Amino acid sequence: MNDASVRQPKKRAFLPPDFVKAMLAGHSALGLAFAALIYIVCLSGTLTVFLYEFQRWEQPDLPIIATRLTDEAVTAAVEGGYRQAIADKSDHDIFIVAPGRITPRFGVSYHDHDSGADGKWVADADGKLVARIKAPWTDFLTALHINLHLPRTWGIFLVGLTGVTLLSSLISGLLAHPRIFKDAFALRWGGSKRLQDADLHNRLGVWGLPFHIAVSLTGALLGLSTLIVGVLALAAYDGDSEKAFSMLLGPRPTEEETAAPLPDVVAMMRHVRADKPDAELVSIFMQHAAKTGQVVTLGMRTPGHLAMSEAYYFKGDGTPLGNGGLEGGSFGQQILGAIQPLHFGWFGGMTVKVVYGVLGLALTIVTYTGVTIWLARRRDKGRPAPRWERIWAAVAWGQPFALAAAALGSLLVSRDVSLAVYLAAVAISLLSAFAVSSAAAISRLFRLAGSVVLLAIIGIHAYVWLPRATDPMAWYVDAFLLIAAVTGLLSARARPSRL
Amino acid sequence: MALISVIAATVLLAMGVGVLAVSWRRPRQSKVHLALGGWFLIVAGFIAFGHALGAEVGITYGALALSCVAYAIVACGVELRNSRARAVREAALEPEERATNWRRGIAKSLLAIVLAGIASIGVGVAIAVAMPLAVYDRIMLGGILVPVLWGGGMAWTLSDAKLLRATIVLVAVSLVSYAIAFLPKVVAS
Repeated sequence: MNDASVRQPKKRAFLPPDFVKAMLAGHSALGLAFAALIYIVCLSGTLTVFLYEFQRWEQPDLPIIATRLTDEAVTAAVEGGYRQAIADKSDHDIFIVAPGRITPRFGVSYHDHDSGADGKWVADADGKLVARIKAPWTDFLTALHINLHLPRTWGIFLVGLTGVTLLSSLISGLLAHPRIFKDAFALRWGGSKRLQDADLHNRLGVWGLPFHIAVSLTGALLGLSTLIVGVLALAAYDGDSEKAFSMLLGPRPTEEETAAPLPDVVAMMRHVRADKPDAELVSIFMQHAAKTGQVVTLGMRTPGHLAMSEAYYFKGDGTPLGNGGLEGGSFGQQILGAIQPLHFGWFGGMTVKVVYGVLGLALTIVTYTGVTIWLARRRDKGRPAPRWERIWAAVAWGQPFALAAAALGSLLVSRDVSLAVYLAAVAISLLSAFAVSSAAAISRLFRLAGSVVLLAIIGIHAYVWLPRATDPMAWYVDAFLLIAAVTGLLSARARPSRL
Repeated sequence: MALISVIAATVLLAMGVGVLAVSWRRPRQSKVHLALGGWFLIVAGFIAFGHALGAEVGITYGALALSCVAYAIVACGVELRNSRARAVREAALEPEERATNWRRGIAKSLLAIVLAGIASIGVGVAIAVAMPLAVYDRIMLGGILVPVLWGGGMAWTLSDAKLLRATIVLVAVSLVSYAIAFLPKVVAS
């Protein structure tokens, strides 16, 4: 938090002015150094909250299931998934997601670690696999948020480091904001751009703080987990990261590869429900499926917990191996269960997702205005940085345009072109910083371009799917895109601001 | 029933933030009671959320609802200004002006990103190995502390003008924490 809200106090200051100035300097330096990365991760993360909705929008002719699955449907999905995995030569691990509060789709996927082959299907209410999932833009968006499309280990680490810098910015911003309560409700709009952006930055930052801390902390933890567990393994597990991870993630399958029957998952569900009659099936994870060493992780949830589900472990023959304690274990186990749903907002249905969308957008705006405040301050002090103003406008407003262009590309071309189109759009936006005369013009250009691309997406999506879409999510997402496009057009018409 | 309780809890939070906003606009003398009342209503809202949904989920919902109602109340009180008006500039504190160069910039980056990272991972792993807690709890506690300490270390090293002080502290923390983390293994071998 900085600038206009931290006026010179008349009486004794809560924090010494020199300390506040030093914190502001550190806050500015860190924010500027990582601004673009934080902005991309925040914007893509805000959209990733709705990844299941976007997945349904990309393929709205697949079944959605509103009722509880029958035991026969679960068995059929397990058997059908295994048969399809064999056909695709990737019958190693099988993952089944039951329809529920995260998504109403019945998903079956499989993956072979050795070959890298995998497959993702949607099943109907009877457990019959009906179609492969094809959601190239959603896959592109998810990978952008998780690893920035870099090599996976390095990308995840960089995103984790971005989470740390965001957390650090929240800490330094808070300490650089001694009038946190005094200015808690001040929002001045119009007049000085610097004052307006500072008010927006501080109000969105302060009142959204619990959410901002939660997502940056959980994001950093998810991103850095491999590194932290790697060092932990060196210290306590003879360098065996797998062993260290299994301490957290439960029993791992053995390497006994002799053929064995598929597990009786329904019997395992009955075993869980004997103790917890209201437990709902969330997921089934079969590692080394149909092999002697297989382990089944049954995800079943009971109400009143943040965790997506409790993890119940079984051997392939149905012998229980305990549970992960994600719902009712020690505080460490419950925190482990809450990390992912807390990060993505996947613990309370659509209402929580929408709130996460709003607060995620607020964090993106906080990042954006952090840089514009610095640029406006320089201009006010007679040291304008017009090139950096243009570059930041191109980075910030080029991103929504590039994400929309990637979606349009994946709609128009059957194969996955999202990443190529995204990179081309980002390159165009960055080049505009050197070709267009002012930051305000760049900002308007990409608001306009992004809105036009969104309108094109809506038109093409409706043309393609109107005759055969059965999932209403197609129209909900189109309506959301229409609102975004109209907002973009109106803001592009509005009085030009400096950025 | 739960829905009605959640709505009631949200209304309590909204009233609490609303009363804080009213107190914020009052002159100093009459605002203390209002501010206390506002915080009381916010706490009551969190308790109501916990009662309706259980502590774990209820407090999380409460935190989300607090942010949303506060945004709405701030938006309702927006002060529209003349576009030609300029702000009073002398009132703002400015970031500290420091002489810097590329060598100092690289040194600061190494301190904030590399050394603070090494130190925080060391502390986290030391806690995960040596803290007298159940294995899950100490691993998770150590893991959560890593980004918190790393972020705090970044904020401190970037704001502290004395590079040597930050270097000495971070190196010392690293040495102690890695000694704690790896000592049992060294002794055993």
